[in-house]
Amino acid sequence: MRKLKTLIMATAAASTFATVALAERGSDGNLNVAYWQAVSILNPYLSGGTKDIEASSLILDPLANYRPDGSMEPALATEIPTIENGGVSEDLTSITWKLRDDVVWSDGTPFTAADVVFSANYCLDPEGGCNAASNFADVESVEALDDHTVKINFSVAKPFPYGPFVGATAPVIQEAQFKECMGAKAPECTEANFGPIGTGPFVVDEFRANDVVTYKANENYRDPAQPAFATVTLKGGGDSAATTRSVLETGEFDYAWNVQVEPEVLDQMMAAGKGEIISAFGTSVERLMVQLTNPDPSLGDKRATVEGGPHPFLSDINVRKALSMAIDRDILVEVGYGPNGQVTCNVLPAPEIYASTANDACKTQDVEGAKALLDEAGWLPGPDGVREKDGVRLSILYQTSTNSVRQGTQALIKQMWQEIGVETELRNIDAGVFFGGDQSSPDTFQKFFADIEMYTNNFDGTDPEAYMGNWVCSEIPSPKNQWIGNNMPRFCSEEYDALSAEMGQTASIEKRSALAKKMNDMLMQEYVIIPLIHRGRVSAASNTLGNVVLNPWDSELAFAEEWTRVE
Amino acid sequence: MTKHDQVLVKAQNVKVHFPIHKGILRRQVGSVKAVDGLNFEIRKGETLGLVGESGCGKSTAGRAMLRLYELTEGQLDFEGVDIASLDPKALREIRPRMQMIFQDPQACLNPRMTVGSIIAEPLDEHTNLSTEEKREKVKSLLDAVGMNRDFVNRYPHEFSGGQRQRIGIARALALDPDFIVCDEPIAALDVSIQAQVVNLLQDIQERMGLTYLFISHDLSMVRHIADRVAVMYLGKIVELADKRDLYKTPKHPYTQALLSAVPVPNPEVEAKREHIVLQGDVPSPANPPKGCNFCTRCPVAIDRCRVEEPELRELNKGQFVACHLAE
Amino acid sequence: MLNYTLRRLLFAIPTLLVISFIIFVILDLAPGDPTGQLPLTIPAEVRAKIRESLGVGEPIHIAYFKWVRGFFVYEPLYWLDQIGITIGDPSERARIISYATRGPVFDLILERIPQTLWVVGLSYVFGILIALPIGVISAYKQYSWFDQLGTFISMVGFSVPTFFTGLLMIVIFSVQLGWFPSVYDTTLDVNSWDTFILQVKQMVMPVAVLALYNASQISRFMRASMLDNLTQDYVRTARAKGMSEKVVVLTHVLRNSLIPVVTVIALGVPTIFSGAIITEQIFRVNGLGQLLIIGIQGSDFPLVQTLTFIFAILIVLFNLIADVIYGILDPRIRYD
Ligand SMILES: Nc1ncnc2c1ncn2[C@@H]1O[C@H](COP(=O)(O)OP(=O)(O)OP(=O)(O)O)[C@@H](O)[C@H]1O
Ligand code: SF4
Ligand SMILES: [Mg+2]
Repeated sequence: MRKLKTLIMATAAASTFATVALAERGSDGNLNVAYWQAVSILNPYLSGGTKDIEASSLILDPLANYRPDGSMEPALATEIPTIENGGVSEDLTSITWKLRDDVVWSDGTPFTAADVVFSANYCLDPEGGCNAASNFADVESVEALDDHTVKINFSVAKPFPYGPFVGATAPVIQEAQFKECMGAKAPECTEANFGPIGTGPFVVDEFRANDVVTYKANENYRDPAQPAFATVTLKGGGDSAATTRSVLETGEFDYAWNVQVEPEVLDQMMAAGKGEIISAFGTSVERLMVQLTNPDPSLGDKRATVEGGPHPFLSDINVRKALSMAIDRDILVEVGYGPNGQVTCNVLPAPEIYASTANDACKTQDVEGAKALLDEAGWLPGPDGVREKDGVRLSILYQTSTNSVRQGTQALIKQMWQEIGVETELRNIDAGVFFGGDQSSPDTFQKFFADIEMYTNNFDGTDPEAYMGNWVCSEIPSPKNQWIGNNMPRFCSEEYDALSAEMGQTASIEKRSALAKKMNDMLMQEYVIIPLIHRGRVSAASNTLGNVVLNPWDSELAFAEEWTRVE
Repeated sequence: MTKHDQVLVKAQNVKVHFPIHKGILRRQVGSVKAVDGLNFEIRKGETLGLVGESGCGKSTAGRAMLRLYELTEGQLDFEGVDIASLDPKALREIRPRMQMIFQDPQACLNPRMTVGSIIAEPLDEHTNLSTEEKREKVKSLLDAVGMNRDFVNRYPHEFSGGQRQRIGIARALALDPDFIVCDEPIAALDVSIQAQVVNLLQDIQERMGLTYLFISHDLSMVRHIADRVAVMYLGKIVELADKRDLYKTPKHPYTQALLSAVPVPNPEVEAKREHIVLQGDVPSPANPPKGCNFCTRCPVAIDRCRVEEPELRELNKGQFVACHLAE
Repeated sequence: MLNYTLRRLLFAIPTLLVISFIIFVILDLAPGDPTGQLPLTIPAEVRAKIRESLGVGEPIHIAYFKWVRGFFVYEPLYWLDQIGITIGDPSERARIISYATRGPVFDLILERIPQTLWVVGLSYVFGILIALPIGVISAYKQYSWFDQLGTFISMVGFSVPTFFTGLLMIVIFSVQLGWFPSVYDTTLDVNSWDTFILQVKQMVMPVAVLALYNASQISRFMRASMLDNLTQDYVRTARAKGMSEKVVVLTHVLRNSLIPVVTVIALGVPTIFSGAIITEQIFRVNGLGQLLIIGIQGSDFPLVQTLTFIFAILIVLFNLIADVIYGILDPRIRYD
């Protein structure tokens, strides 16, 4: 149903596109965009989060963007390099981009391959603290073959070589502007960081950090008919309800980013009839991570490590499976997410070609099944109703970050587990601490000093290779690697590692998809990760805004040059 | 007593009741009958002493005389004009002629005004004197109360209690009043200065021909300064007489009790004297007893006293008593 | 008085240094990580690099020294430089840099001052202007319907949180009536009558919400202080002097009653600068309060440290000012 709605919206948008495609640059006045997180900086390489990356995506272009359907579309490049067209080398260790030769920077100077090379070096500088560093992982060198050809060499085979310069996280910045800002000097270039010169549809007019950005149309933009809007105001601050209201109820804004409003409140706002909710589903999944090692504090240094030994009861797959079976995911969606969520049984729910259907049984709750499973495995209800076996009680410490929706979900799941005789203690930790990498804190999600933890993760772009690589043995966080690592369940399987390695060598999309699904299914059927909700991106758009389609794969504003005003 | 036969102030059935509000809606639930029907005259040039225990309504009565409180009932003639019913403007015009000296000399002076402006303020309001004349007047007033002229620019807190009271007196005199209510003007002062201030008041009275209502609970001080004395109990006058008569032959049981408590300087007499000790506490003015106000404590009370309120009647010439038994 | 003021100022310096160190230690101990807000897709190694480039995790004494040098030496020198007095080599100076914006903290703060003063400051002024007469009349006519109404309104203004009044106003005046914008435009440049009207319109709601809140507090103070004074003997004296009621209330009672109220008002001034966090959030005024909140949420320690310290300076300063005013207004107080 929800998908249908999105589809209808998309077609509606497409049809308006047809009627207004002939608009000329700057003819549509001002576009008012509201982000409830204020923009801090306009250099995405130094940014603090999504809001900054999206705000700079109006100014800076990468070589290619992801379209809302997940496909790649060249931006500063002429085409997407592939093995077929010779852009990607047979051994998968290099990619060669052909650049458009008709692009100039907003200051009028020509855009060349040197800028691309510079941008890579800027981010690769070890002292710069570049937050897109993972896009440039394994990049050995970037060279300009000529003024409009760039070759990126990788140190290993890269079956998916579209990390650098695809998507808003890794755009091209101007060498002339940033050449004095390399490495440790990066933060000192406030002027450049607050007003980068770009090739995108807009240029910065005024930037007030943590408050508001105003843009005007880039006179030198490569498409003479775009952008339709002459100016953009991107106002930050407030909360999601307020920004959504300013689109749906007061109509002061045209677009509100990241709507997180309770379903009933949203319905009320929609009743004003000034705008619509648009949503799209990317790769974000709210999931439970299951602790496979023993988090007992008495283990000291070995706590929650492989050395500390297996978990007293979660090492039993039957328990893990029962926990998953006992959950009614529909209720979780209904209560906490509304249009922002749908039930999922996969940790890798999208793009379509990677989404497995092998685990869909989890979509229906099965309390009896779970009970039977536990009975069979010898976990029998004790005098207080809590199941136990050999003196081990099924008593779970369940942690997550502090956030009202999460606490709601926690409470619901606690109830569901109580029904099958599992006792749950809930705990929530400030997000800054939980997700922060503070070594000295025992409360980080990497240390995972609990039995179950819940959070959302996703991956950038459309390729799941790195994401699925999160659960190989070497990713297990432990004191030895300063607790850095993404394998929270401490899952370790040779077979899985082999699949991951194979994916790193496989270029064919079909084969990659098969591998990814296989890895996903393995994690699901081992119940080391219990997926709950496939979380969508939801934004609000005014009825007077045409051609807006929510893009879950790239910046929401990546195609703002196509947006128009309709009456 | 020819000097004192012209009546200056005449109180007739003067009542001041303070409403008591209670509850969230602050509804009136009763009233404190601080002054409950006063009848007396003050004659030009005399000093009428007003005595009574703490809380009996002396200050309230004194303030009511100047209409610093609105009367609940009654008439208050000042030279034949009923000030109880004057409109604010007319009242303000007559104000300069009646002044007050307060019990607490610190509290009655505005802490943020200099001595000069405290004294001069009423001059601005009620006279057309030039600045120069006003300054002169202020200085001469300071002289009159025995204060250094150079103190004009100082603030009240820079003075001692006695000095402050002098300032208070100077202030009261500024508009050449006829009538001054002295509300325990010496109660807050050291014994050593009390006499000075009383002498000063007497001096001024003589020089300026003032009329005083002198409120005090100190019977010997009243005896020293007053011509006639009124004794108050629970909002009412119980006895009013020439001081000689009152001190020699007190008629009202309450007056007798009060006087018996005043020590006599001669130890022999003092030892032989009979002390009347009153039993019980003063009833609350919010809820006075029926009949005679004093009946709850009166050593000679009879049944009638608890039913019928005694009138203030003239027993001998000039001696008024409110008691059924007095004769 | 001058000596006293100077002595107090001198004494304030070590006090403030100690305060700054305490703030620093507290922030250092506080959990939180400037990369905590980054999307989870950014791997831990990259986060570690970012933290390193920000200087997170330096030993506390070094970090503190750098901050003190930035605050007390480099920033003043920078601003001197801006007005044309150059001492030393400007390129050598490391200003205090925010983690989140990578821009100088002081520039951020300066950018916020106009809207903070306009909205929060003006609401304070309005609050005072409304509160004083209400307090005076309420006390003068104690228990009258006016007083009862005043008491009720200040109870409401006091106890109903600003996020509620703010939201209510938005729903009524922005959503239903469409009179005022619900979002404050900080970029509005007042240069004509029309833009002035726009500015007024966008200020109405936040200023009203805050003014109500301020007025309820101050009017209570004013009322209490007036009541204290109204029953004093000197008021009776003034009446006995035959002064008109106006003079009695306005010159005698009001002036004396204002002494403590003025002190309270002076002590409240720093709260203007610390902003009205909630109101700023609701109307997106994005003043100093919102800056502080963003700083705290993003673990932007240099920003939070600097802002908190500036608030500390203001508090110390306005405490001094309140004392001095008290001394000037009340002749009974002498400092020497
Ligand atoms: N403004 C007022 N409101 C209510 N009750 C009052 C007020 N002023 C005085 N009273 C009450 O009226 C009664 C008489 O008070 P008043 O001050 O006249 O007594 P007093 O004889 O002067 O006492 P003291 O010798 O202690 O000065 C007391 O019970 C007092 O509590
Ligand atoms: S009337 Fe009765 S109670 Fe009152 S004083 Fe005379 S004897 Fe005593
Ligand atoms: Mg008294």
